[in-house]
Amino acid sequence: MAEFSTSIKDQSGVSVVYLNGYLDAHTAPMLESNFSELISGGKFKIVVNFKDLVYISSAGLGVFMAFIEKIRENEGDIKLTTMNDKVYNIFDLLGFPLLYEIYKTEDDAIKKFVETDKLGK
Amino acid sequence: MRTLKIEHNIKLQLFLLFVVILFVYKIFFYSSDSFLLNTLNEIIVFFAFLFLALYANDVFASKKFNPMSLVMNLGILNAILFLAITFSDSFLTLIFGKVSDTLKNPNIIFSVLSFVYVTIFAAIIIQMFLIFKEFYFLNQKRSSSVYFNTMVFFFLLASVSSVFNLFPDLSYIKNTFVIISVILIVINSIRISWIAFIVKKEKISLLLLSVIICTLFIVNLVNSTDTNTHHRIFNEFSGSLGAFFRILMIYGSVYFAVLFFTTLFHIPTAEAFDRKAQEVSSLQYFSKLITRVLDFDELAETVTDIALKVSNADAAWIIWKEEKTLRQLAHKNIGYLDAELITSYIFREKFLKDTGTLFTESLRKFEKRSQLNEQYSAVAITPLKTHNQLRGFLVVAKKGDFIFDDEDKSAINTFSDYASVAIENSRLLEESIEKERLEKELDVAREIQRKILPAKDPVFDKLAVSSVFIPAFEVGGDYYDFFEIEGNMPGGQAGKFGFIIADVSGKGISAAFIMAEVKGIFESLSKTIESPKEILTKANQILKRSLDRKNFVSAAYGVIDFEKEILSIARAGHCPVLLVREGKVENIRPMGIGLGLNYGTQFQTSLEETEIDLKENDLIVLYTDGITEAKNLEMEDFGEKKFENILIKHSGKNVDEISNEVIKEITLFSKQGTQHDDITLVILKWKHKIKNVSLGEVPSPDGMEKKNG
Repeated sequence: MAEFSTSIKDQSGVSVVYLNGYLDAHTAPMLESNFSELISGGKFKIVVNFKDLVYISSAGLGVFMAFIEKIRENEGDIKLTTMNDKVYNIFDLLGFPLLYEIYKTEDDAIKKFVETDKLGK
Repeated sequence: MRTLKIEHNIKLQLFLLFVVILFVYKIFFYSSDSFLLNTLNEIIVFFAFLFLALYANDVFASKKFNPMSLVMNLGILNAILFLAITFSDSFLTLIFGKVSDTLKNPNIIFSVLSFVYVTIFAAIIIQMFLIFKEFYFLNQKRSSSVYFNTMVFFFLLASVSSVFNLFPDLSYIKNTFVIISVILIVINSIRISWIAFIVKKEKISLLLLSVIICTLFIVNLVNSTDTNTHHRIFNEFSGSLGAFFRILMIYGSVYFAVLFFTTLFHIPTAEAFDRKAQEVSSLQYFSKLITRVLDFDELAETVTDIALKVSNADAAWIIWKEEKTLRQLAHKNIGYLDAELITSYIFREKFLKDTGTLFTESLRKFEKRSQLNEQYSAVAITPLKTHNQLRGFLVVAKKGDFIFDDEDKSAINTFSDYASVAIENSRLLEESIEKERLEKELDVAREIQRKILPAKDPVFDKLAVSSVFIPAFEVGGDYYDFFEIEGNMPGGQAGKFGFIIADVSGKGISAAFIMAEVKGIFESLSKTIESPKEILTKANQILKRSLDRKNFVSAAYGVIDFEKEILSIARAGHCPVLLVREGKVENIRPMGIGLGLNYGTQFQTSLEETEIDLKENDLIVLYTDGITEAKNLEMEDFGEKKFENILIKHSGKNVDEISNEVIKEITLFSKQGTQHDDITLVILKWKHKIKNVSLGEVPSPDGMEKKNG
């Protein structure tokens, strides 16, 4: 099957999740466990970088839905960045831009988190 | 003896016959000095007990005996004889008076009583003899019974020759036979092979038993002199019977003396022998088991169980490698915490390194050893591999001061090979069961989907409808449906036509169930609500109750009003609806979030509804992403552009022809590539001015367009 991998880095208190390859019904559990770990580790500020994601299926989209409620309850968020046109189109068709903040670059997303933090204080 | 092939029952009958004869004889002539009568007496006695022996032998032969129980049996019989002989002087004299007097002039009561007494003891002697015979043939490597038969032959000669007791000159005959018998006894007693096959514990008790039994035999032999009352009666009853008894006592003394020494010499090696036997039987048991045990956990339990037995260890457990972590399972005689502490100590440096072979670790330097509930001193770890891939480790531990010797190590090594094979077997089996289960599940899902989708396309005056659905191997969750809504159109036709196309997230049986639910919702909503926006809003609310957080449904719902010639459409996250008009494709893409993605007001506020005035030959094309995301071998998408071009190119044809063209192109494009998702294509064609149909089609009288296929 198509390959998929993730990596996570921490940047100014924001966890950046990098997706690589094909995110579908078979690989979605990997991303699910990534999110579970972040949440159980108390990390609710998450930026997902789609730069190297080639394809996302409906099951892949479902992963974001599964965790967003819990994360927002904890004053966190999942922000999506750096999507290629094809991937963005899939998100767009489903109306994701209404539900998630989608940014052009990873830095924009992180900046947004930092700003909200300042406002909060 | 074997040459006498007489039927089983006849032996018993013959025995009884001879006993009766003997009884009658004894009533008349109890004892005699006449050689002739004496010989006659011996002959009757001989045959009576010969048939008893043959009969009992048959009974014996049909059973399998454990040597230890035979020894015990012999010991008890021997003890009975010992008591009878020892107390005969006081006890028998009480009944019969002074025996030497009584024997000279026996009365009828004495005759009867002594007959019964002797018969009982003769039976005991015969049983003892048969036990000896069992011993001889126990674990005997040679099938030949020549040695034993020869010995028995001389036993009988020595016994029978006691008829010459009346002639002291001839006593050498008997003596010769006795001597030969003794020599044969010694020869036959030397090899006692069955001793090797009993376990160490039994050997130790056998050592003690053999001394006691041997002593009893010697005492019984020494006591059977003419001064002993028991023996006097016996001897007087039949000289040969007394002689046979003495020879048997000699046999017993010699046999058990030899047995004692043999056992003594076997004791040091007993443990090793036991172990080998244990190992062999454990492995044998295990190899039988691996073909039967299917469950992995059950298998793991069996593995540690047997590992304990073969390695002489005190505790055992398995460390199983899972994706990133190590899982402990099948603990035997050890708590989870102890096992965890020891495991982390063992792998403190060589974490999961494939050592390839067994290694041992002493726990003496283990700094946390005092934290252990049990003082384990050493562990042996052996890798479990399948297909040369490390799957886990089998760990066995010993307590106290014990260490693992070479013998233990090789046993564990051998066993771990077996265990690895077994584990691989169970894994393969589990995989194939899982695969079969999945295929069954998919069959069910496909069946559900097939039943949910409309069986045929509806037919209208003003609208041609054609639908194609091609399921993917893993049911993709595509759904489409048509609803005829009543109105006042001529000919009782529906006034409005509702249609839906949807794609449920996920695949397989779970997608099929959601699909079924979606069908139910839209089927009922379409009857009461006409506005596509309202229907989708309502559907979203209903789905809140049943959809998982990570599941959602993209859908587009449209209604065509035949009277007003208007199409109203709302879209909840689905692919755009295409309108092909005058050689151009227009994407009808009103705003809308997928069903199940948001249950708040956002769904409703963002949802838009579009209205389109239908024109002659308008094509309305509904599809799922199975079309645009159809892949070729290079994993390229079929794409929107290609799709639109085909629609434009063939827009003049009828709906069935157009959809055929689309499917044909997709098939050509994807070639041998697998179909990843369901493909659904619904094409509607608006045909208001029936009389002016281009392409020279002759309209049917009732204005219906002719449907192909």
